[in-house]
Amino acid sequence: MNAAPRTSLPAPPVTASRRRILARTRLDFWLDALLLVAYTLAYSLGFTGVATHEWLGIGLGLALLVHLTLHWDWVIRTTGKLFGRGGRERFVWLVNLLLLLTMTLCIASGILISEVALPQLGITVTASSFWRQMHDTTATLTLILVPVHAALRWRWIVGVARRLAAWRPGRSR
Amino acid sequence: MKFLRHLTAVVLVVAVIVGLGLLWAHASGGTGIDNGLRQAPSREAVARMRQIKAGVIRVRSDNGFNLADTGDLIQTCMIEAVLAAVVITVSTVRRRHRRLRRTAAAKS
Repeated sequence: MNAAPRTSLPAPPVTASRRRILARTRLDFWLDALLLVAYTLAYSLGFTGVATHEWLGIGLGLALLVHLTLHWDWVIRTTGKLFGRGGRERFVWLVNLLLLLTMTLCIASGILISEVALPQLGITVTASSFWRQMHDTTATLTLILVPVHAALRWRWIVGVARRLAAWRPGRSR
Repeated sequence: MKFLRHLTAVVLVVAVIVGLGLLWAHASGGTGIDNGLRQAPSREAVARMRQIKAGVIRVRSDNGFNLADTGDLIQTCMIEAVLAAVVITVSTVRRRHRRLRRTAAAKS
């Protein structure tokens, strides 16, 4: 076995700014993972039942606001440089825009056709076929766009997952 | 402070999208707001009811998790996995092509 040489340089000290970036990366990773799991469960209506589906949808809506807020800098930066960027970055931006539109309309229409969650809160709405159809169509579109959205960043996901797997508290990874 | 500023911007964007959706609903006559008048059920609603009665669409009366009914969950996971695999494969192939082209250009 090769033992590490005793004369090796000590690891550089972790600066406060680096630590902040690491914490932010961890937050992004776990929030995104949570969103993906919640979305998958919410889409599987037969598994969750109506009440869980609706409450998960509402929770997903709130979590998505946080997700979008955390990545708002990327939105501004990419939108500003949209025409100067390469084809891939423009494609990612377009997928994200479509996902924002469809997910917002899906959650909004889901709230408007709610059968359990809203009545539990004392709010009653009469669901129209328009919102029901909107919910079905946008839900199908999100099922296509969500995995595409996640897979477009698979290198980042794999990289962070590897670092997190090797991460120990107190170590700078 | 920065987070709050960004959150405000996000909420505004979401509000604009929802507003446009409501306008669309209003323009197409399906506002979803109870105006006290009972309308005849739409064709889609009647078809949906027929499917429920025929057992094509399953509706459960209970509202908790149904751990035995994992078919839906497995189907969702499968669709997500297949689509993600397609995107990752295309991305990998494109990257490899680009690298090969760059290497060939550097050699020539």
